[in-house]
Amino acid sequence: MSGRRPARRAGVVGVTLATLLSHYRRHPGQLAMLLLGLWVAGALWSSVQAINATARDSYARAEALFETRLDRIERRDGTPLSPATYAALRRDGMAVSPLVAGELTLAGSAAGEAPLRLLGIDPLTLPGTSPLARRTGDAASLRDWLLPPHRLRAAPDVADAARRDPRLPPVEVDPGLPPATLVTDIGVAQRLLGLAGPTRLVIAPEAPAELPDALMRIPARQLASPGQLADSFHLNLTAMGLLALVVGLFIVHAALGLALEQRLGLLRTLRALGVPGRTLVVALGLELLTLGLVGAGLGILGGVLLARLLLPDVAASLASLYDSHVGTRLALPWHFWLGGVAIILGGLASAGAGLLWRVARLDVLALGHAQAWRARLGGLLRRQAWAGGALIMLAAGLGGWLWLTGDRQLVAGFVMVTAALLGVTLWLPAWLAGSWRLAARLGRRRALWAWALADLQLQLPRLQLPMMALLLALATNLGVSSMVGGFRLTFLDWLDQRLLADLYLHPEAERHDALQAWLADQPEVATLLPARHAEATLLDAAAQSAAPVALFGIRPAAVLRAHWPLRLPAAERDAAWQALAAGEVFVNEQLANRYRRRPGDTLTLRGADGRRHRLSIAAIYPDYGNPRPEVVMPVARLTRVFAAPPGSLGVVLRDAPGSRRQRLDALVTRLAARFGPATAESAIDQQALKADATRVFERTFAITRALDALTLGVAALALLTTLLAQAGTRRAQLAPLWALGVSRRRLVGVQCLQLTGTALGTALLALPLGLALAWALVAVINVAAFGWRLPLHLFPLQLLVTLGLAVLVAGLAALLPAWRLWRMPPRQLLQEFAAT
Amino acid sequence: MKHLKTLLAGVLVALLAVGLWRGWHSTPEQDTARGYAGLGSAAEGYAEARPGDRLVFPADHGAHPDYRIEWWYLTANLEDAAGRPFGIQWTLFRQALAPPGATEAAPDSPWTSRQLWMAHAAVSTPDGHRAAERFARDMTPAEGPGPAGVRAAPFAAWLDDWRLAAPDGTDSGLDALTVRAAGDGFAYRLTLAAHGPRVIHGDHGFSRKSADGQGSIYYSQPFYRIAGTLTVDGEEHAVSGRAWLDREWSSQLLGPGQSGWDWFSLHLAGGAKLMAFRLRGAGRSGGDYLSGSWIAADGTVTPLDGDALRLTPLTRQTVAGRELPTAWRVQVPAQALDVRVAAVHPDQWMATTFAYWEGMVRVTDTQDGTPRGVGYLEMTGY
Repeated sequence: MSGRRPARRAGVVGVTLATLLSHYRRHPGQLAMLLLGLWVAGALWSSVQAINATARDSYARAEALFETRLDRIERRDGTPLSPATYAALRRDGMAVSPLVAGELTLAGSAAGEAPLRLLGIDPLTLPGTSPLARRTGDAASLRDWLLPPHRLRAAPDVADAARRDPRLPPVEVDPGLPPATLVTDIGVAQRLLGLAGPTRLVIAPEAPAELPDALMRIPARQLASPGQLADSFHLNLTAMGLLALVVGLFIVHAALGLALEQRLGLLRTLRALGVPGRTLVVALGLELLTLGLVGAGLGILGGVLLARLLLPDVAASLASLYDSHVGTRLALPWHFWLGGVAIILGGLASAGAGLLWRVARLDVLALGHAQAWRARLGGLLRRQAWAGGALIMLAAGLGGWLWLTGDRQLVAGFVMVTAALLGVTLWLPAWLAGSWRLAARLGRRRALWAWALADLQLQLPRLQLPMMALLLALATNLGVSSMVGGFRLTFLDWLDQRLLADLYLHPEAERHDALQAWLADQPEVATLLPARHAEATLLDAAAQSAAPVALFGIRPAAVLRAHWPLRLPAAERDAAWQALAAGEVFVNEQLANRYRRRPGDTLTLRGADGRRHRLSIAAIYPDYGNPRPEVVMPVARLTRVFAAPPGSLGVVLRDAPGSRRQRLDALVTRLAARFGPATAESAIDQQALKADATRVFERTFAITRALDALTLGVAALALLTTLLAQAGTRRAQLAPLWALGVSRRRLVGVQCLQLTGTALGTALLALPLGLALAWALVAVINVAAFGWRLPLHLFPLQLLVTLGLAVLVAGLAALLPAWRLWRMPPRQLLQEFAAT
Repeated sequence: MKHLKTLLAGVLVALLAVGLWRGWHSTPEQDTARGYAGLGSAAEGYAEARPGDRLVFPADHGAHPDYRIEWWYLTANLEDAAGRPFGIQWTLFRQALAPPGATEAAPDSPWTSRQLWMAHAAVSTPDGHRAAERFARDMTPAEGPGPAGVRAAPFAAWLDDWRLAAPDGTDSGLDALTVRAAGDGFAYRLTLAAHGPRVIHGDHGFSRKSADGQGSIYYSQPFYRIAGTLTVDGEEHAVSGRAWLDREWSSQLLGPGQSGWDWFSLHLAGGAKLMAFRLRGAGRSGGDYLSGSWIAADGTVTPLDGDALRLTPLTRQTVAGRELPTAWRVQVPAQALDVRVAAVHPDQWMATTFAYWEGMVRVTDTQDGTPRGVGYLEMTGY
């Protein structure tokens, strides 16, 4: 007999499981909702993970490439080196190797497609630490490499495209290359890129070199690797993915709760028929596992598809933000798949654990009674509110500490943001319950009002989860939108600051002075803004360490002063400009943050001639988008003291009748007649330049916007799921009201008001949370990640949009149940009433 | 030493000439038939060294880009003040990657050329050895010389800062030169002055390299006195001694079935010099091919063929995982020469991309062991 027991037991589990699952046959919508929740949570999470994994793989390959391991030698003025300079350095015994780097647009590539990175190398002199140098060791391949038609090594993602370009040498696929990278012999690359000489020389970090003054050596350790730079971006993505997972799990929670609630009677019947509690738990566990596996599979599949869809945008964002290349094809390691399944099953387990617990302690005789539930919930709410309060305190404390110390730590910033989000979310039900109580007190005399609020208290257990999801989505939406909006404004300001003139000219050095004199005499020209660039070395106080800094010469004309932002109160700005004219300098925020300088401090710079200059800092200016430390001084001083070569000439047009375009064209035509077409062709219309820059920027935040919208969509879905789930119960509660004479129209109105009101209450809590999030992103996380701070822009419209979104989401979610109620025949309502 | 160079060059050529090389990769039998990676058959399109070619100086001190391979090969036996033996090697190889006209350089690119340069430098100390190699592409920038090259007059041969050249402002052919090079843990800077005439080997410079008839153009300046400074591991040594410069170029150097060579350049007591080589497997019916030059103290050259010259390995030692004959019996009966030539120490392996043994040797009388001179020995293909 004992031998037959396991078989019987398995049979019982099977029958129980079949009975339990039959519920979904009657309610396929619930099953769909459950799977949808799992799918959405899994898809968002795993798409972010897939993107991150691909990016990391790309960085790893980029770092393995020689460029990041070798010191660079460049001309201080940034112009290309000549082959003669290279040969002379070699003959002087310096183990430099020439390198050509540039961007190449393949023939036949679609318009707007990002250009590829093309590197030209000399394998004979490339320092031996480079994988590329070793790979060309085979003699036959060396000959093929050096002689026409040469060879081209291409990263796998671009090999096919490269093969189609008739200009390129025969292609060999090299999986070790970073994405979108081509490597070929230096002569070929130089011809393809139309360059006159190598863009730079590379040298092993340990090799000595005594360079002429015009050249500078940039140690490899100062060339930040793309991985470090983009870490913060991926941290942001991961946080977004985590958020999506949480929101998705809210849906699962709601759907599972409903599926249990509706099966409580069935479960009791099964228990009464003698099915042991443990068997029930096992059967339900099996049900969860099955759902989880199916959901995880769907989720990961969806995630990969989503990632494929988003990856080009992410790659574009990274390329324009950090100049680092990420493959546009997914490269997924094995642990990605396992990790995805684990995280979704884990999330499901967290949602299902409470359910299993309740089933295990199911009281056969107790009747499911919402009021009893509510009493237990009171304790739960209090505990949640306490935990939430503690988390909010933690966030506030961290925020205060970061504020006071001025120390911008990425980890502290993220802990703060997480604590704030989680804390406020936990606190939300208590806030809603409190608000309702207050509102009920205010409208005591109006029966329907009092009923509606009391009814809401009863709905709270089920409403709290979707409302939490809504809160998170709204706050994130507001915070991220504020940051992006602020970034956008600031970026446009920065473009204005840097691209102030109507026209930019880059004349050849020997024509620079003549052109400048000629332009000054032209009637269209209001102001000339000559600018020059040079390089210097920043020495620390003890001259122990040195770092390259860019020098930027400007002409502080009135129009420039008006647009050049300074981190100073308005009253002190004139004094700062006077100080600049008197011999002091401005430094950008990157330099100020990295080397801890403030106005009034001094800098010691070593110029190209080796002489040292001590300069006093008059002001700090914001310099978004510029990765390098920079020092600004009047262009005349830069030319005199640091021997800056001739640079660009900006032309600000005089205000005059006629279109700007016409006056510009007239000027350029005369310019061409006087100085030849080559000089005129160097003219760049500032508006075109700005449009280009803006377009690049808009792509930069495409991914943020996409994830934002998805999160909000998930929140709406969660709300809809919950409402649909409780629609049946709701009817039973509404039927008596109808029987008492409340019209269906009013009932629908009350329902919609209840929901939108709740959503509005949630949104009110989301506003401060979103603003705090925006502050954290802008003032803490950005500074820690990028070295510069954005001004915090508040957009009142954005706040209104957030409130509106909340109402809209709630309204949309309420629409379907309301419509069903509206269409319900009175007979059915009567039946429901009779049943209660 | 020239032999060594020849070997090296052969290896280089073999490695670099793609078409030929592929055949070598496939089956060893095929290789042998084509003569050491096809060296014997692949001269198509290149100029060929022939008996009857006449040397023209100073032009022939410069490069011969229409030939496949060429070298400027200097070795020196030195002593410090205490009489301890030192040696140096300085070699510049030129290698054509393709025959003339096969692939013309893109006219707008200074980087594309069918010529490749390689240099080896080494210092031998009484008990050790340091070596380094460098590569450069042949390029001619718009201004100034390239990173590697050779100028016939005033003579200069260089790759990076390794340089063998007439001192600035002088031009006396190859008679007065300075040489310098530096590598990991060593550096040298020396001055050379010739006290005897240039020596032309073989048939007016055509040096046969196998029984089948192919060969190279080959001349030497073996009569240098040399002095200067060596630095090894930071320690400076003032040294002086004798040096030997070889010039050789060819397009079809080796015979079929050849496995390597052993090459001697000896400074003998009394002022005579001996150049002798053995090309293993290059002789009739697979035997060795022997050849050499007896150079009297006054520079008079007597060519030596296989019957006039005997080279016999005596003892073998394991160097860099290979068995090498580090002691030899060298006999030139017509000159009553019967000497033992032995490495000063076996550790003079050139662990370069194309590896070989090149080192200083002592010459002693086979009968009574009295010192009879010094020299350099090159052994390849082991």
